[in-house]
Amino acid sequence: MDDLGIVIAFWTLSGLTVGSALLIVVTRNIFHAVLALIVSFLGVAGLYVLLSADFIAVAQVLVYAGAVSVLMLFALMLTPRQARNNAANYLEIPGLLLSLVIGGLITVAAVSTDWAEVDDDRGFDATSRLIGEALIDKWVLPFEIAAVILLVAMVGAIMLVREDQ
Amino acid sequence: MLLDNFYDIRDLQNLVEWITDPLNGQLAYVVAALLGCVAILSFIGATAIINIWIERRVIARMQARLGPNRVGPMGLLQPVADALKLIQKEVLVPRLGDVPIFLLGPMLIFIPPMFTFGVVPFGENMAYVNLNVGVLFIIAFTSITTLLIFMAAWSSNNKYALFGAMRVIAMLVSYEVPLVLAAMGPVIFAGSMSLQDIVQFQKDNFTMLVWIQPLAFIVFLLSATAEINRSPFDLAEAESEIVAGYLTEFSGMKWGLFYVVELVNAIVSAGVVATLFFGGWWLFGLEEWIPGWLIVIGKIYFFYFIFMWFRGTLPRLRMDQLMAFAWKYLLPVSLVNILVAGLEVTLWLRNDWDTGIAFPIFGVINAGLLGFLAWFAGRTLAGKMAEAPTRAHMGTPLGEIYRSPA
Amino acid sequence: MAIQAEPLVVNVGPQHPSTHGVFRMKLTLDGELIQDVEMIVGYLHRSIEKLAEERTWTQNIPFMDRTDYLAAMTGNQALVLAAERMMGIQPTERAMYIRVIMAELQRFASHCMAVGTFVNDCGAWQTPLMYMLREREKILDLFEMTCGARITLNYMRIGGVAFDLPDEFVPTCRYLVDEDFPRRLEEYTRILIGNEIIIARSRGIGVLSAEDAINASASGPLLRGSGVAWDIRKADPYDVYDRMEFDVPVGYQGDCYDRFLVRFEEMQQSLKIIRQALDQLPGGPEKVDIPLAPFVPAGEYYGRVESPRGELGIYAVSDGSPTPYRFHIRAPSYINLSALKQMMVGHTVADAVVILGSIDIVVGEVDR
Repeated sequence: MDDLGIVIAFWTLSGLTVGSALLIVVTRNIFHAVLALIVSFLGVAGLYVLLSADFIAVAQVLVYAGAVSVLMLFALMLTPRQARNNAANYLEIPGLLLSLVIGGLITVAAVSTDWAEVDDDRGFDATSRLIGEALIDKWVLPFEIAAVILLVAMVGAIMLVREDQ
Repeated sequence: MLLDNFYDIRDLQNLVEWITDPLNGQLAYVVAALLGCVAILSFIGATAIINIWIERRVIARMQARLGPNRVGPMGLLQPVADALKLIQKEVLVPRLGDVPIFLLGPMLIFIPPMFTFGVVPFGENMAYVNLNVGVLFIIAFTSITTLLIFMAAWSSNNKYALFGAMRVIAMLVSYEVPLVLAAMGPVIFAGSMSLQDIVQFQKDNFTMLVWIQPLAFIVFLLSATAEINRSPFDLAEAESEIVAGYLTEFSGMKWGLFYVVELVNAIVSAGVVATLFFGGWWLFGLEEWIPGWLIVIGKIYFFYFIFMWFRGTLPRLRMDQLMAFAWKYLLPVSLVNILVAGLEVTLWLRNDWDTGIAFPIFGVINAGLLGFLAWFAGRTLAGKMAEAPTRAHMGTPLGEIYRSPA
Repeated sequence: MAIQAEPLVVNVGPQHPSTHGVFRMKLTLDGELIQDVEMIVGYLHRSIEKLAEERTWTQNIPFMDRTDYLAAMTGNQALVLAAERMMGIQPTERAMYIRVIMAELQRFASHCMAVGTFVNDCGAWQTPLMYMLREREKILDLFEMTCGARITLNYMRIGGVAFDLPDEFVPTCRYLVDEDFPRRLEEYTRILIGNEIIIARSRGIGVLSAEDAINASASGPLLRGSGVAWDIRKADPYDVYDRMEFDVPVGYQGDCYDRFLVRFEEMQQSLKIIRQALDQLPGGPEKVDIPLAPFVPAGEYYGRVESPRGELGIYAVSDGSPTPYRFHIRAPSYINLSALKQMMVGHTVADAVVILGSIDIVVGEVDR
């Protein structure tokens, strides 16, 4: 972490991520919140790049900034117009509790992890190959189960919203 | 470091030492990065301006018109005149729109194509970054373009723009899937997601990947056309239906930026197609004599011409028909293609076959697959073409009501 | 469990690229599906019917150029037919042939425009329209050669036509209808008819049954596309149409594609009629002399022609003075529009413009 450029990049990206994450909570306009969320995702992707995890970084952009936020925008578009400014917030207390619990968990995890230094020259290559091999080889069962669950969820969602014929 | 002896900054020797100091050679990176940015920016700017003229002239030729031919020799200065006109025009901002986002849209819209250009190699050592995950990077950032378009549309507070936004998002969700799957075909063969490696693979094996993966090429070309919102997939700004879609509320240079980015996106897509499937800067050994970037630009303009050709000739499909095309035809077809490509690569690598013999055989098999899927799946998966007579019936005697015999 | 969404009201027009002028549709949408259509006309109202009451019959001819500005010849023809019927004037033989030639050329030009804009509405990027405009241009050149004007022609007169055909007209026209247009039409047939995207966009879209078409008192290609063989040129022949041999094309399903086919076939039939008229064209004077502002016997009169858009009628009441007492234009565009809602409900916004394009309205005629 003694490299000046990396340090600057780290703090910029962290500031961007945390700042836009705060903006999501603070802003009253849902549309702005989604946009801030996208910026936050992009900041996280930048942090992944700093960690030499290029595949995960691009997957973050592709899946979160590209696809998940698109689904959110889609949902946003389908809500009636009045919901554009969310004035009433009747889930304040449960939301606070939930975020406290999650924050506590992350803190515990961060504190209890053994942050070992890794060699610099472990470098940039073949993270995608490693991930692919891990998914297909070692973790193939959870991978397939996740796929089946997603399929079931998709079929269920389609069945739910299908109009009666 | 510079910070340690900042009081000596007037001493030029100090600065030169800092720059040339091999341990602290970070400035070299910065300068190289800036130079690369300038190169990409100027290439994008120049092509955008030239493309306006090319597109208007070529489409005019297709439409039995002359096209712009008054401003400058052969109308070459027409883009300049257009730009001057657009800069002078008043920029109208919708009063009830989301003004900051509305103004942000055209500013940010240039960023994704610039990012994507960064990984396209223009020569053997001429890529801004040789990213390990180049293919995914390109796809990720083209999807960001769509988000920006959505931003612009939503913030205009206009119903036509909303339609455009809805269509953009729906198209993105549908066509991104076959796009990624089709891009995986070359990636499986080259064994790398880096565009430079894919070109190198084509050079080493003296073949263009389009011969090995013709189906992936066609799916990729169609999906890319959808991804960059060009005719016949230009539903987001379908002029005859929803006025100008997401562009409806934009005027002046803000509109001009969107218009230019559309051309730049076409160039980017053409570049990716040329790199993935047509060997990028490699051209059967010709790159020894011709600079690689010229070959790339030639290939880019070849595909750009194809995009223009699409635009000049094809009517537009309806939204649901395009969705059906993506989900019911392109997706299964590209899945089959990936399966076959994976099998072939596995066989080739496990048995250590000679590529000179194996690749032509794969090519023939995949071309057969393309023919079969285009013929068979086109008939079964994508729905049947409606029965339609080619001539009106003759109504004699007069006053009768004619109905179809069925 | 269906998701209930609020309907969205979208105004298509009056300034929309595909409303063919300043026509306005108020669409009530559920997603992209049309639930209700309200058409709002009158943006181009110029009070032509009222203005006509202050002018003599000859002075009214230019108004007919400006109602249906894509088919000025048939507009002129409707007016002079009504006037001749009122005054009991028989035009000369040659004049009647010239009128038929001109009307059919105009029909060809107008259908060029209709087909071109229809394919444009289907989403083609101007290309077919430009090709069609090229053909239309040749016809406008012929008109210019004959009467000096291209769009607002003011060519026909009570008892004949304003000018005789120039010497170059007949050979040029012959070249066009014998060689040029058939070759072009064959090319366009190859490009447009059977085009998979056009079929996908227009087959089964905007279906209007024969009964509904009759009830809406539709006429022209809209009626014929629905399968009703009805053509004023055959049903109530005027000028010399009874001496011409031609067919009335009809469609079987009444969808947009059928109307498109009917227009295409009518262009072929127009060429056939022009060829016969050129063969039979007699000599003689091009008009009979009538007073400048003849007094018209009191009574009610109706003259009708088959304009490219349908039955164009002039219903006039005269009180015995040189000017009409009431001058009503039965505008086919306007009456065909009344079937709009039946055709549109249940389709999407993208189909709405295709359906509107298949009716082929001219707003100048809708609003008058």
